[in-house]
Amino acid sequence: MATHLEITESLKTFTDNYSKNERLKIMNRDWDRVVLIKATDIESIHTLTLKDGVLSLNEGASGAPDLTVVSDSETLADVFYGDINPTEPYNNGTLRVMGSEDDITRLDFIILMIWGE
Amino acid sequence: MQLKRVLTLRTVVATSAGLTMASSSFVAAVMVANYVLGDTAWIAILIGGALCFLAAACFSELNGLLPTAAGIRLYFSRAFNEQVALTVSLLYMLVVVVGVVGVESYILSKVLNEAFPAIPSYAWIVVMLMLVTGMNLRGIKIAGVFQDVITYSLIVFLVLIGLFALGKVGFKLDAPFSPGGAVGIINAVAVGVFLFVGFEWVTPLVEEVTQVKQISKGMMIALGILSVVYAIFTVAMTAVVPKEVLIASPAPQLVFARAVLGDFGASLMIIIILATSLKTFNAGIISVSRFMYASAREHVLPAVFSKISMRYFTPWVAIITLFFIGLVASGLTLLTNQYLVLVGLAAAMSSIVYAMVGLAVISLRRRMPEQVRPYLIKGGYLVPILTVFIFTLLAVAVLSADLSALLYMSIAFVATLVYVNTVVPRLKKKYETRKPAARRRPARATKEVEGK
Repeated sequence: MATHLEITESLKTFTDNYSKNERLKIMNRDWDRVVLIKATDIESIHTLTLKDGVLSLNEGASGAPDLTVVSDSETLADVFYGDINPTEPYNNGTLRVMGSEDDITRLDFIILMIWGE
Repeated sequence: MQLKRVLTLRTVVATSAGLTMASSSFVAAVMVANYVLGDTAWIAILIGGALCFLAAACFSELNGLLPTAAGIRLYFSRAFNEQVALTVSLLYMLVVVVGVVGVESYILSKVLNEAFPAIPSYAWIVVMLMLVTGMNLRGIKIAGVFQDVITYSLIVFLVLIGLFALGKVGFKLDAPFSPGGAVGIINAVAVGVFLFVGFEWVTPLVEEVTQVKQISKGMMIALGILSVVYAIFTVAMTAVVPKEVLIASPAPQLVFARAVLGDFGASLMIIIILATSLKTFNAGIISVSRFMYASAREHVLPAVFSKISMRYFTPWVAIITLFFIGLVASGLTLLTNQYLVLVGLAAAMSSIVYAMVGLAVISLRRRMPEQVRPYLIKGGYLVPILTVFIFTLLAVAVLSADLSALLYMSIAFVATLVYVNTVVPRLKKKYETRKPAARRRPARATKEVEGK
């Protein structure tokens, strides 16, 4: 089981890597979204907010999300650190993402562009 | 927490019905009519619809138990194993895509060639596929509201023209309950299932609705509407135009519209065929290209299919590959004129998947008995057992009546099985060797995790 702090660190690493990628920021200028990340086995909620291509991280929930990512703490930390590919836990039901199909695909594209295969 | 955007029941019904209604559906409707005596096609269609209700109930239970866009991939993986899930998912995509693209493009090219004889049939297919591929590469989707409008307009149009035609010929049911022999009825019902193929493709929307039950309700309403619409329209077609004329045409709905409303009816039907095919192609390419992308991401297909357009965020390699698959499938169909085999193939494959969905319900009730089920089929094991039995029978009926379909199905099955057992392990191994040895997650944290 990962800790809340570890999930926070994984999301910070993810946000930092996103912010270093100028191309990704330009590509997402028109994709303003709120993503809620929630762990199922510990008390841990974070919000990623993408506005005008800039990604920011907050602890807790803030506003109605466009996407909700729900999984156990281990999977969440591993996915946002880029240690595992999100498709496998998604296909075996460990990771749930609620939102429109287009938004889910776009989030996966971003993870792929940051962490590669 | 409530999502900002959620889908309404209206959109769920329109999506389920819309994915089902293709120009090729009317070819299947005429095949159904041809298997039974007189004007009793409605019996086979209503039975086909009622049987799909059984499958829809099974899909609803699985969808509530495992709410995911991954659909049968996850249901079968939990109920059976990963290999079965992968083989069936790949085979289903392959057969349905080739079947639907082949038949749909064949019909479209024949219809447009009739309207504009100077332009060769295949040119229409190329133009249509290029248009849809271009839209997909640019990430242009037919908006939800527009999709709803197309689907509901089509439903209203089919009912109105059907009733008008029945009134025009002073239709009376001659022998309403004498459809003929059992073999004919079974074959008619089996092909009738093709009319409803795709109703379950609405289950991935489970992540976009407020309540899981909305998907079940939407599927059931769509099946009810479609059963009635197809029954009215098919009876009207056979009441106005002789069956042998309809079966000889790749676009019986066009022949019928011309017979009822003259050139105006034909022009109207051409527009409807165009809109329906465009919608079917577009929805097909979106779903299958995303499936290919996701499969490449989990190293089941070559990594090249996960390549993304930097400008439009679309899986361009998968989309372009589908364009070429579409060109080949439709070219071969046009060359061989074997579009009816593809209808049988898609009907058989759907029946196999529906039978397996029934089995998955039974298996998961044993494997995950404690798991909460927002939708539980009443009557214990009766509905899943009936689903398994009936759809197995229908698949056998279709494949034994059409040996070409059986041959193609066997080849596709063996090819998929070989692929899953030889190529997939290699792709996964290749990925493992390329994967960075060190984890990005700090070592201290990892040790703590391992210690727990």
